[in-house]
Amino acid sequence: MADDKKSLVQGLRQRDPEVLDRLIEQYQYRLFRYLLYITGDPQHAEDFFQETWIRVLERGHQYDGKFKFEAWLFTIARNLVIDWQRQKKAVSLDAMTDTEEGKGFEIVDEKAKSPLQLFLQSETQGRVQASLEQLPPAYREVLVLRFQEEMQLDEIAKIQATPISTVKSRLYRGLDALKDLLAGGAAS
Amino acid sequence: MISELHARAETLIAKEFVEGISAAEQEWLRTHLRECARCSESASATQQALRSLRTLSVPLPRELAARTQFRVRLRAQELQVREPRWRLIWAMCGASWVGGAATAPYVWRGLEWIGHRAGLPDLVWKMGFGVWWALPAIVAAAILLMEDGERGAARNTGGAA
Repeated sequence: MADDKKSLVQGLRQRDPEVLDRLIEQYQYRLFRYLLYITGDPQHAEDFFQETWIRVLERGHQYDGKFKFEAWLFTIARNLVIDWQRQKKAVSLDAMTDTEEGKGFEIVDEKAKSPLQLFLQSETQGRVQASLEQLPPAYREVLVLRFQEEMQLDEIAKIQATPISTVKSRLYRGLDALKDLLAGGAAS
Repeated sequence: MISELHARAETLIAKEFVEGISAAEQEWLRTHLRECARCSESASATQQALRSLRTLSVPLPRELAARTQFRVRLRAQELQVREPRWRLIWAMCGASWVGGAATAPYVWRGLEWIGHRAGLPDLVWKMGFGVWWALPAIVAAAILLMEDGERGAARNTGGAA
């Protein structure tokens, strides 16, 4: 395990194309899914996916192996999305994360399907997805990181650059809200 | 009293998934859930919500990995070309600073002499000395800014970020 990490650190430092190819293959699904949930749009998720790996290539020497590679990878991806949102002068992910009334990645017409809903066609997935989209982005992101990515609380805290206590409270509130939304959807 | 028990159960149901609970808490919760239909239902709803979240799948765009690998390789080649150039620039900057430090007293005196001969105020030739000292850094910064500008333009035409 330690040897794996050592060779990963070395490969990133040397910008070894084989190592990068392997990492892209290995993390493609998880990274794309995470980006899809935080951008809410498949096209943007794809652009950021590629840009994230370019950053990994350029800044591979900064990865020291102290944390899991995926935590570092997701931090890069998240920062890219935040930078882009700031450039676009939209509400930043960070700003949205602190509000209770954060609406997520804006769906202007509530009856219209979002790009994300169109992307996830099946009915069950659509229902879960619709519930997720109604959650404030801060809650959605922690739920995805904790329960889809199976990340530890300290890893999530590192990615979000927030204290563990904040991560926990977002998880509790997010879980509660998701449960209510799913129950409401099932009842209707 | 009873409502306190339900509240505790609700807290533990969520805590179990979020950060884990102790064996004693687990034992208490299991016993409570066996006896309380309302809390048992709530625990099932939480489990169901998480199961739905975990099973939510996302279709990957076609050839996403291959296209990314191609872009990453292109960028790697670009960096391979640029980096020796950068090393050269830094080496030149370093050499120029070392040379600057070694010749500083002479340049100072030379500029002082020229300043007095030309009747310039002290501030002018002293500023000239400052510019001469900072010149390598200014050139390096200008090159850096130009390269950043080029990259930014390329990125804006190539992708969202």
